[in-house]
Amino acid sequence: MILLESQNYIIQTTLTEKINKPSSLDVQFVDFDGVRFHLSTPERKTSLLLSMHIRCWDELVKYGALDILRREYGVLLLDQAEQEYNVSLDIDLEQIPSDPAAQEAFILSVALFKRNALAAPFERGFKTQKELEASGGAPGELMEIHYRDEEAIYVQASPDRVTVIFSTVFREETDRIFGKVFLQEFVDARRQPSIQNAPQVLYSNRDPPLEIRHLSGLRAADDIGYVTFVLFPRHFLNATVAGSTISHIQLFRDYLHYHIKCSKAYMHSRMRHRVAEFQKVLNRAKTEVATTERKTATGRTLISR
Amino acid sequence: MSLLAPIICDNGTGYSKVGFAGNSDPSFVFPTAIATRGSPSQTSRAPTIPSKPGHLASKRGVEDLDFFIGDEALANAKTPGYGVHYPIRHGMIDNWDHMERYWEQTIFKYLRAEPEDHYFLLTEPPLNPPENREQTAEIFFESFNIKGLYIAVQAVLALAASWSSNRVTDRTLTGTVIDSGDGVTHVIPCAEGYVIGSAIKHIPIAGRDISQFVLNLMRERGEMANVPPEDQLKVAGKVKENYSYVCQDIVREFRKYDEEPLKYFERYEGEHSVTGRKYGIDVGYERFLAPEIFFNPEIYSSDFLTPLPEIVDEVIQQSPIDVRRGLYKNIVLSGGSTMFQHFGNRLKRDLKQLVDRRLDASVLASGSSLKSSGVDVDVISHKRQRYAVWFGGSLLASLPEFYTSCHTKAQYDEIGPSICRRYQIFGSAT
Repeated sequence: MILLESQNYIIQTTLTEKINKPSSLDVQFVDFDGVRFHLSTPERKTSLLLSMHIRCWDELVKYGALDILRREYGVLLLDQAEQEYNVSLDIDLEQIPSDPAAQEAFILSVALFKRNALAAPFERGFKTQKELEASGGAPGELMEIHYRDEEAIYVQASPDRVTVIFSTVFREETDRIFGKVFLQEFVDARRQPSIQNAPQVLYSNRDPPLEIRHLSGLRAADDIGYVTFVLFPRHFLNATVAGSTISHIQLFRDYLHYHIKCSKAYMHSRMRHRVAEFQKVLNRAKTEVATTERKTATGRTLISR
Repeated sequence: MSLLAPIICDNGTGYSKVGFAGNSDPSFVFPTAIATRGSPSQTSRAPTIPSKPGHLASKRGVEDLDFFIGDEALANAKTPGYGVHYPIRHGMIDNWDHMERYWEQTIFKYLRAEPEDHYFLLTEPPLNPPENREQTAEIFFESFNIKGLYIAVQAVLALAASWSSNRVTDRTLTGTVIDSGDGVTHVIPCAEGYVIGSAIKHIPIAGRDISQFVLNLMRERGEMANVPPEDQLKVAGKVKENYSYVCQDIVREFRKYDEEPLKYFERYEGEHSVTGRKYGIDVGYERFLAPEIFFNPEIYSSDFLTPLPEIVDEVIQQSPIDVRRGLYKNIVLSGGSTMFQHFGNRLKRDLKQLVDRRLDASVLASGSSLKSSGVDVDVISHKRQRYAVWFGGSLLASLPEFYTSCHTKAQYDEIGPSICRRYQIFGSAT
């Protein structure tokens, strides 16, 4: 598994199961970036309530998340969200299409709940870019999404591109080193001819890039890094390309951390292998215990009791 | 910042149960299997050494990411190039490389959680060496940077799970756990959250044997003739799960069935998995004979002959004298093979008979002058028996004390893996 998937696996499996066999349910679970979900059947067994809590919900609403969710889910979206959660969907299992392909598509779209909510600033950025390209004005509004406690995504549209900046914090010393190598590789990998079309990536440690330098509240510490993606119009040419760009770029932070963890796991398995090899060498160095028979002067043998 | 729910990870020999604290069922139950590149018979566990070590140009690909876990692993078992491994043997982790990668995918692909934001509760079998705990802690703290870790003994969690039964009044961690899964049945005495290791007993009869026994019975009667051979064991398993119960008296049960077969015999309808041909079989005596192998093992095996109630009695008699009353009073069932109807009642009755007989004998031996006040025997069945261990973990991890009993990342960094050798017992009201 190299890429992380954008849909939530728990929503997907639970819905599939409940469509075949409705039963009462009350589960809470999470997704990346501290998103909390609550899936329950408050009234009837066939009516599921899926609520989501996102840390940066207010910012997302500002950038049009509700419009996108309404477009994706239509009447399913409830006006009043469940208490302690930001947004709720009401899924009536009796009204789900019975055709297997349509059913699968519906389940997948519900499982993409978080992805769709987070897509708002990106979609707005792409739209603004189109407008700016036509009118040729100054760069658009800088959208900030504080999706984690210490980390944020910044999206800004310009007449010829959309810039996406991630701030990343590594709490662990080792992670920071791994992360640095990784991000450096991202910058270098673009030179390979096969991925010339990938978005340009810039990485800077400690100092924020120029686009966001004027913002207040940016910490300048050693454990912070900034990754800048420059998306050109070809990356959001049509709806499909734009959709997959959004899905991928959203998960960038999780992808990075997942791979740091994978590399550590790989290192550990190498280390275990090395230790096993060393132990073999040490065992080889063990001296053989002398087992010659010892006798007294008179020729009697000593027997240990 | 609001705390996210702790993650409960119960990795068993056969199946792993994972999910979030506060829920009543695990989010995922899948086989503890990992399918990696390379044949399963390959002896060297570590990845192959690169041809030119240290040479950056010979950068390797992503073979270490090319693996599947759980159901996907079994589905890919036949794909050329993949081999299936089971990283846990007899409840203990055998291959740490595979286990680390197994956890990695569990967390990132299935739970979709950021390990940095969560506390973890893991389980271990009784008598797990502390070195294994250290290894586990190393993986979780150093690879995954988790916030905090608690490693609990499975039997203690099963005791905690029984608190959900309305018959339990005091929340105690003293009791006898009967844990019967697919491969083996354990009888484990616990005193105030500590396992009495010297008294643990294992019984080589569990779910797999019951299915086999049902299959044998049905083959003898000729019912299995129209069932395709590859489905027979599966059908036997279904019959066991859906129709079996524990009876109180075999002889009477046989008579009942013979007098009114139409009332008691059930019909199982199946479908050939390849051709789609329908078949039906009669389910008869095996309905009550299947779980009977716990109480009369001689009907199934010839080398293990001690009935379950006797084993439980032996275990309690080998435990220290001052906890025996508590052990008799709180016998807790856990695992799928204890789910038969009336299983608890039968066990209680048989055990009560054994205990009373011994008490009577000692009264006689004392010349009838000293009379015992009697010993309470109680077996607790509850709704969450199947995933009792996981449920107990979910229950304990949602208590506020859980966070204080955990070892945090800061403590680990300060002291090192040895900190995880010992864990504070918590959750008991006493």
